[in-house]
Amino acid sequence: MRRHNRLLAAVAFTLPLFGLLVAWEVIVRAFDVNQRVFPAIGPVLQAGIESVQDGTLIRHIGASLARIALGTLIGIVLAVPLGIVMGVSPAISTFVTPLLRFFSVLAGIAWIPIATLWFGYGFGAITFVIFNAVFFVVAYNTLLGVTSIPMQLRHAAASLGAGRWQVFVEVLLPGALPNIVTGIRTGLGFAWRGLIAAEMIATNVGLGYMLFVARDFYRTEVIVLGMIIIGLLWLAIDRLMLAPLERATIERWGLVRRA
Amino acid sequence: MKAVPAWLRLWSAYVRWTARWPALAAVVPFVPVVVLWAVVAESGIFPRVFFPGPMEVIRSFGKLMYNGILPAYLEDSVVRLAAGTAVGMALGIPIGLLVGLSDRAHKLLWPILLFFQAIGDIAWLPILLIWFGFGLGTMTFVIVYTVLFPIVLNTALGVRSVPLELHRAAQSLGATRARVVWEVVLPGALPNIVTGLRNGLGYGWRALIAAEMIVGTSGIGFLMFDARRAGSVVEIMLGMIVLGILWYIVDSWVLAPIERATGQRWGLVTR
Repeated sequence: MRRHNRLLAAVAFTLPLFGLLVAWEVIVRAFDVNQRVFPAIGPVLQAGIESVQDGTLIRHIGASLARIALGTLIGIVLAVPLGIVMGVSPAISTFVTPLLRFFSVLAGIAWIPIATLWFGYGFGAITFVIFNAVFFVVAYNTLLGVTSIPMQLRHAAASLGAGRWQVFVEVLLPGALPNIVTGIRTGLGFAWRGLIAAEMIATNVGLGYMLFVARDFYRTEVIVLGMIIIGLLWLAIDRLMLAPLERATIERWGLVRRA
Repeated sequence: MKAVPAWLRLWSAYVRWTARWPALAAVVPFVPVVVLWAVVAESGIFPRVFFPGPMEVIRSFGKLMYNGILPAYLEDSVVRLAAGTAVGMALGIPIGLLVGLSDRAHKLLWPILLFFQAIGDIAWLPILLIWFGFGLGTMTFVIVYTVLFPIVLNTALGVRSVPLELHRAAQSLGATRARVVWEVVLPGALPNIVTGLRNGLGYGWRALIAAEMIVGTSGIGFLMFDARRAGSVVEIMLGMIVLGILWYIVDSWVLAPIERATGQRWGLVTR
């Protein structure tokens, strides 16, 4: 019964999108829109099939995903411990908060020019842009999370004989987890846009590059194909991975804040 | 009695001063960062060309202010962002109200809204360039597009969070549909609308910079990218600092007060 309902919900969700596809085709035919302005569905599908067959699409998607995975991973690994350490002491956290806010505002796209100068065009510069988009936002949110943990909880754990390490692992990390996950979601949102922008400027492989090169040849069908893929990929990352993760951590550990 | 160490006395003085002037707390933490930056730049670990010091950046600030490039570009960026945000809000709030109030509109539009939000502003740039060329049309479209979705989605969320009893209470007191929307739904959704505005500006800001870099002919993003072409790290750093300070001002002098005011005035409704 519940399974049936979920299926129904999925159908109800995708139905408007199909409606959009139909509207697209009808409008393109009815107004006889120039292919160079906006393509019909047919050519877009054809471009999709062609690019899958010659392997370029997979290569572009693979490059983009590899960059974002690596940059995000390095960002999280560095930002979470640093954010916790800075958040432990109220004095330090009030001191560094303005700094982190300043840099998380700059995070991502604003670093593209200097990253391309430091690392040259290519993998290094793009990964750096993603890394710092994730790093500052996650560090800032981790710090906020740690400072929101009531002092009593830390004192309670300490008076029950927990050492520094145990307090870190069993109180601070779980307590800050909901904020950390929210930070990762926001940071990845910035990183994804930064990735597309950086790929348009600074590389020769990746989804952003695919779009930007297609523009040079007025191949709108490739551009639209790329846009749809970018949209679907982000929906998959955000709705299927990050949103459930966020919900789960808030349900599981969010209580700590209300304690 | 043990003497109080000097650093502790210094720290307590800092705490006292920042309690009196909170603005100080937003400035002083940057002092050690700038000092560290200067020391690293002086030490010559990195080639000077790739890693200039603060003095060079200040000098280039003076130069660009004097010849009028920086004020002109800054004005261009701010005007673009303000215009885009205004249009985005004018479109976004009504759509959000519609999606939040009507179940049918919600079912129909929600998946489409999520999908178009996911495509992301920057991915539109190539096709926009074909449509509008390198110019203001492209830039405005990108910013409006970016600001629009967070506002629509958050407005809809806010509208749906207004308890049904409040609708009914207003209606049973004789309010027409329009008055319910104006006096119950809109104020109730206001805190969420402001949150949406903040998110939208956060994304819109980045989209503007990216658009100025890729298609720009003026603006802070263009300044930075032009400097990159010329290999001038000094001007890139200057651009980044200007961007950061500008956002800081927008955030703490414009957004935060609005957020506080609406939260205090209307935030109760959602509880």
